[in-house]
Amino acid sequence: MQKYLTSITPDSLSGLIFALEGIYDGVVLLNGPSGCKFYHSSLSDGQMIRSLDFDPLNYPEKWYFGQPHVPCTSIDNGDYVYGSEEKLRETLRFLRENVKFNVLFVVNSPGAALIGDDLRGIARSEIKDRPVIVYESPGFSENMPKGYVRAFEAAAEYVSRDESISGQGNSADCGGSDASKKVNIIGAGLWRRNFQGDVEELHRLCKMMDIEVNCMLMAGCFWQDICSLSDADLNIVIAPEFGEEIAKKLKTLTGTGYYICDSQPIGFKATEQWAREICEILDLPEPYKIIEESQRLRARCYPLISRLNSLTGMPTGRHFAVEGRYSEALGYSKFLLKYFGMTPDSISILDADMENCKEELENFLRLYGVEDSLKKPILDTDAEIVLASGNTIGGLKLKGADFGGIDISLPSLGYIDVIPKTHLGLSGAVLLVELVLNGLKF
Amino acid sequence: MSKIAVYGKGGIGKSTISANLSAAMACAGHRVLQIGCDPKHDSTKLLLSGRKLTTVLDYMRRTGPLEQKVEDILGEGYMGIGCVEAGGPKPGVGCAGRGIISTFELLQRFGLLQRYDTVVYDVLGDVVCGGFAVPIRREYADHIFVVTSGEFMSLYAANNILKGIQNYDGDEKRVAGIIYNKRNVKGEDERVKKFAEAVKLPIAVKVPRSDAFAKAEALGITVYQMGEDERLQEIFSRLASELDKGIKLYSANPITDEELEACLLDTSVSEGFSAKNAGENERENAGENRTENMQGGSYTENEAFYPTENRDLHSKDPDLGNNTSSKVPGKSCERERDNAVDAGEACGSPLEKPVYYFSKSLKNSEPLHGCAFNGALSTCAHLKGTVILAHAPKSCTYISYQTISSSGRRRLFERGTLLPVSLSPSIQCTEMGESEIVFGGMETLEEKIEEIKKSRPKAIVVVSSCPAGIIGDDINQTEMLSDNETKVIPLRTDGNMAGDYLQGMLMAYITLAKAFIDKSVKPDMSVVNVLAEKIIDTNSESNLKTISGYIGRIGLRVNCRFLYNTDVDALVNFKKAGLNLLAFGDYTGKMLGDYFEKEYGAEIFRKPFPVGFDNTAKWLRALGQRVGKSEEAEEIIKSEQEAYNSRIAKLRPVLNGKKVLVITYNHELDWILKTAIDAGMEIVKIGILSFSQDEGFRSELDLNCPVELEYEKEKRTEDVERYKPDVLLTNYASSIADKVRISDIIPMCPEVGFESGVKTVERWAQLMKLNRKGDWTGDAEIFNKYYAR
Repeated sequence: MQKYLTSITPDSLSGLIFALEGIYDGVVLLNGPSGCKFYHSSLSDGQMIRSLDFDPLNYPEKWYFGQPHVPCTSIDNGDYVYGSEEKLRETLRFLRENVKFNVLFVVNSPGAALIGDDLRGIARSEIKDRPVIVYESPGFSENMPKGYVRAFEAAAEYVSRDESISGQGNSADCGGSDASKKVNIIGAGLWRRNFQGDVEELHRLCKMMDIEVNCMLMAGCFWQDICSLSDADLNIVIAPEFGEEIAKKLKTLTGTGYYICDSQPIGFKATEQWAREICEILDLPEPYKIIEESQRLRARCYPLISRLNSLTGMPTGRHFAVEGRYSEALGYSKFLLKYFGMTPDSISILDADMENCKEELENFLRLYGVEDSLKKPILDTDAEIVLASGNTIGGLKLKGADFGGIDISLPSLGYIDVIPKTHLGLSGAVLLVELVLNGLKF
Repeated sequence: MSKIAVYGKGGIGKSTISANLSAAMACAGHRVLQIGCDPKHDSTKLLLSGRKLTTVLDYMRRTGPLEQKVEDILGEGYMGIGCVEAGGPKPGVGCAGRGIISTFELLQRFGLLQRYDTVVYDVLGDVVCGGFAVPIRREYADHIFVVTSGEFMSLYAANNILKGIQNYDGDEKRVAGIIYNKRNVKGEDERVKKFAEAVKLPIAVKVPRSDAFAKAEALGITVYQMGEDERLQEIFSRLASELDKGIKLYSANPITDEELEACLLDTSVSEGFSAKNAGENERENAGENRTENMQGGSYTENEAFYPTENRDLHSKDPDLGNNTSSKVPGKSCERERDNAVDAGEACGSPLEKPVYYFSKSLKNSEPLHGCAFNGALSTCAHLKGTVILAHAPKSCTYISYQTISSSGRRRLFERGTLLPVSLSPSIQCTEMGESEIVFGGMETLEEKIEEIKKSRPKAIVVVSSCPAGIIGDDINQTEMLSDNETKVIPLRTDGNMAGDYLQGMLMAYITLAKAFIDKSVKPDMSVVNVLAEKIIDTNSESNLKTISGYIGRIGLRVNCRFLYNTDVDALVNFKKAGLNLLAFGDYTGKMLGDYFEKEYGAEIFRKPFPVGFDNTAKWLRALGQRVGKSEEAEEIIKSEQEAYNSRIAKLRPVLNGKKVLVITYNHELDWILKTAIDAGMEIVKIGILSFSQDEGFRSELDLNCPVELEYEKEKRTEDVERYKPDVLLTNYASSIADKVRISDIIPMCPEVGFESGVKTVERWAQLMKLNRKGDWTGDAEIFNKYYAR
């Protein structure tokens, strides 16, 4: 089997673009060739449809190439030699006069980053009435989370500087709560397999704790929400690889503390713990609504698992495999091992140099004597349940492996989710129970 | 042919020296071409009496590839010397190094270098990026001179140039020596001498400072042409003569920066040239003719120095090998430019495989859809048994991987089908990072190739991205890593610098064909190849199944699919097919047909896979005729005709007199138009939108309706109101879709065969009967209320 699959993963360019595309009223202009734009535009639209219009004629070929997102300057060989200023100015003028936006992000493609055009000077001379944030380098083969962090770092100056806007936040789907506590949630984004469902579940859980989401950072927020990040009482980090650095930066900028749970809130116990700890930090009462719902859902799951177990002995002791970053791997492993009693066969780490949660994962596996699972590549697994991207699941199927696949990261296998789904929180826990039960072989 | 690169710091006199050397070579009877590789583009002005040329880069920017002509950028100067200026961006913008790469690609496409027996490259040496190193590449220069004065920065640049050469050559010998251009700076003789000793190079020529240079420049000619200073003329004549006889070549042995500083420490490097000492030094030089000893040899000032033991210009030293110049006097490779000719094969280095087949976008200077890198990767992935190695950052590879694998994942999910190429394309990546970007990525690339070779694939196809192209990584060098088990095949797309997605496909087709097809295989008329299936078309497999069903009934089977899920063996035996069927007759299909016809003498069956009844009948009839199976073909048509007539008869009562308005990107519509007409429908208007990779609308039908090319979207509403169509045929259901009774989509790649048209029209009839679009179509307002941002 090919060993390369794990090296074919998105890098910081995608992290950067997807983070910025998560801002509703921003436009992400790629100073680069159309080849760098198609995938990002298509995925952005698929994850967060913002406009009904899908008619290519309404998205000029010259910049949009018929797609609704990520216009590009379409630079070519000549522009690499002579510089992209001419095309960049032309595109900026088009955007200024034809497209509604409150903030413009200009991102150099990897190739354009090498020719050293004065992006900032050019962009700011054309767009004077709105913030323009430029990214001279998207990074070269850096990990995806670094792109996300980079996206925020350039925007961070607006958080501390533009204090006049503070208090005018308008977070999506948050409306009208009387809650006294506000939080920002950091680390969700368009690159997640269940972006919409994740966001909805996090909002729902917060509401159950009587907390208002001030800003779902770069995951369906408005520019003003970012400017008013300092309004929050706490920054909650969902995926530390993406959020920890930003939370630390915000601590410095705004003085707001942050919370990172042991792993991602995957499974009943992890969600309960997540909610309890947040309430404790915010000096709120026990999250009894969450505890109660968790119990009800576990009760719902019990007879189904029990029946299966009585008949087949499953799922206890059955093998699973996970492919993901440390915090994801830890979240899924804890849930599958502790709740189902399943055994990890392979845990493959992506972006392994992002070591958030590394120690926690190793300690956890060591505690159960299954630390060797970290040494086994996922493409060698014979586990019954495989949690990975659609590419890895496809590769294993091609190899003839016999397993139930759960796509936990993009690219997915292609299922179109009409009902937003998530693996986070209580809704996520129930879905995972459903997927595991259906993925096991009777 | 002598190919001489003259490198040196900016302003050191390279252009003057190059021009005088060119003049001397021309006077010695050579056909000389001088190429200025400096953005300030004044290398050849002394050869052209001050006349300025259109630079190659300016020219490329404003002239489409098919309109480009060599005479537009080639000037003829003194003694017929060919003059070319690369040009480049203004200071502070763009990438001049990349400009050099582009220039050489164009010159190679023109086959220009082959018209001359001596080529002199005048190259800026301050910038040490990969682009400016292009002339150092083996296939371009076989002699390299480094020009320097005794000033520290000049020597520093000279040392850097040697580092660049060493990177390419290792211990190989291509350096012909130092050209010492005196600035009359105090102590410079000593410094240059020390430097030459340190880097183990001879001072090939010492050019004295002379007012004659300024005088000649004022006249717009070379000192050599001016002829007033015999001493200077003699210097260049002698150098030309040395080159003619076979000059001794050396390996590059640069020293470290610390060694360079130490080497020059005891000389006053900071002392500049002053008007006062200039005159003194000038007089000194004029009166001097002293002999010095260096490196065990001897030289007379103002002439070349060579170590004594190397003065045998017809050296028998086996080390000299191919490095000794092998001039072919007066002979040139006269190959005229031809859009459909690969000059690289005939005249150039085997390492270079320029593409002369252009995609439509490239040909017409349209915005580039996608990149050649992605097109090449996607195409090469269909050759099984090979590994495609993307020399790129992860993002480029990931994006391409998703393009290829998305259909595989969908098929697995939707129907449990395993499509190996799509589901798990054999692609790896060098993961170019900051380090490779700054220091060059060749080392990483070579390591990766060696690693992949351990798994013994039949071939590794190396495809380059934009960053690799900009920094000038010469992936063509990797061909040398081929061995008996694994071919290493470079495919230099340089991201989108070679062109768009389709250009990448064309490059991949040609490169892989050249690498594998065995021209000696004898054809067999019972087998056919299938060309130009679309790799992104989800119908490709089912369409081939339909076609295979037809051709199987007339005794044919498929040999090689070029390229779709193809074995290397099938590709090697490509010529076994007596006939080659085109899956598509669009621009790419035609071009591929032309290529195989021209380069391989393949017989191309020009009618593409047929869509719709009439097309399929014509196609089968023609194919049957060609392979002597007309009766079998007629039998198939006859049985299908009965079925078709019966289905159409059932549709007429519902569709007769109904109006169809067509607004589309598709250029071949006969399959659906003919069926609609057969069913009694009226085509009221056809609007062809100006967005297509295709070559233009074409129809064999006698259409009695307006056909508007370059249709503008603003007219849609007006036309819908004017014609009141029952059916609107389009590609994307647009905002006007709800204003018509039926809005249907024309697939970009329709199903092939007899049934495609009738199936579509049957659906319309069904929709007419239902008279329902579905309640969901009325919910746009609700979406806008709750979700639109």
